[in-house]
Amino acid sequence: MVKRVLAIVFILIIGLWMAKALDQVPFGEDRMLVGKYYLDHVKEETGAVNAVTAVVVNYRGFDTLGEVTVLFIASTGVAALLWKKRKERSAKTEGSVVLTTGARILLPFIMLFGAYIFIHGHLTPGGGFPGGATIATAFLFLYLTFTLYEVDHKIFEPLEGLAGIGYVTVGLIGLAVGGYFLFDWIWQTWGVGKENIGRLISAGFIPIIYTLIGIKVGTELTGIIDNMIKEPEEGGQ
Amino acid sequence: MSIASIVGQALVLFGTFFYVLSSLGLIRMPDVYNRMQTATKSATLGSLGVIIGVGIWAIGEVNSYSWISKTLIIAVFLLLTNPIAAHALIRAAYKSGVPLWEGSIIDKYKEAEASLERVEQIKEALGESAKEVEKNE
Repeated sequence: MVKRVLAIVFILIIGLWMAKALDQVPFGEDRMLVGKYYLDHVKEETGAVNAVTAVVVNYRGFDTLGEVTVLFIASTGVAALLWKKRKERSAKTEGSVVLTTGARILLPFIMLFGAYIFIHGHLTPGGGFPGGATIATAFLFLYLTFTLYEVDHKIFEPLEGLAGIGYVTVGLIGLAVGGYFLFDWIWQTWGVGKENIGRLISAGFIPIIYTLIGIKVGTELTGIIDNMIKEPEEGGQ
Repeated sequence: MSIASIVGQALVLFGTFFYVLSSLGLIRMPDVYNRMQTATKSATLGSLGVIIGVGIWAIGEVNSYSWISKTLIIAVFLLLTNPIAAHALIRAAYKSGVPLWEGSIIDKYKEAEASLERVEQIKEALGESAKEVEKNE
């Protein structure tokens, strides 16, 4: 009881302190310094209509590379923590017929929608991470519905690595062409799609990188699900 | 104000009405199964009304047909997924032993499971007697 009251008082003090600090920041006023530059120059410099993805992939590509690395480390870490030689599913009961049929019907649509999200990252809200998460959801659906389902590990892990390597390769080509890492060579040097800003083939390497990130995130989250849903076989190592 | 926007607004109103009914049902109904029924059916219908209504409203208001295609896709997806989710929830609730309302009279699922068990027992007994017959011969 005393502990709980003390904790509540402590949190209230911290909240008051933060509210005091945030009180100085006016709400709804134009306080853009760097943001103004992004909004004014995003079209001619990157070709993307979606300014968020342009900032995330183009202006601040290093952050996205770091995020992808974090996800990769998370997936590898889970795999290393839960590693056992022989693993099998703990679930023994199959879902009902309605569920399995529903999964069969819905699965291609969910995958299609995920691919749509990451391919259109430069035009609509979304991008590689939501698209990849949607695709991983489709695989989670399969894992939850069927007892015997398992992804093909011979394809999945190499695909994950290849997508990551592809991202770094695109950045390295930029280094060779333009002089710095993650330089948008397709847009700045080649000028692909200069005329059709706002259509699918534009925005330089943003769609390419987002496709790679989408594949990578989808396979990574699926790998985490796969590792966590299986238990070591009894008598196994 | 064009006909399309009037139709759209009417559909949105219709959908919101069913949303209210569904949330009322959540408070009003006695057990999990009845609550799931009201929540699923009327909330799905309400969502369909609101979603398609917004699409039609956009035709009348901003004269753009791109909304209606997207809203139709969302509506079809919702129509496909909502009953499946409700089915899985109710089935899981029954399997984990959530009791029916005291007023409910009949539980055919339990009877069917009991009779299935009895069929299994009879089968086992038949198999044993068949083995004994083979031994005797």
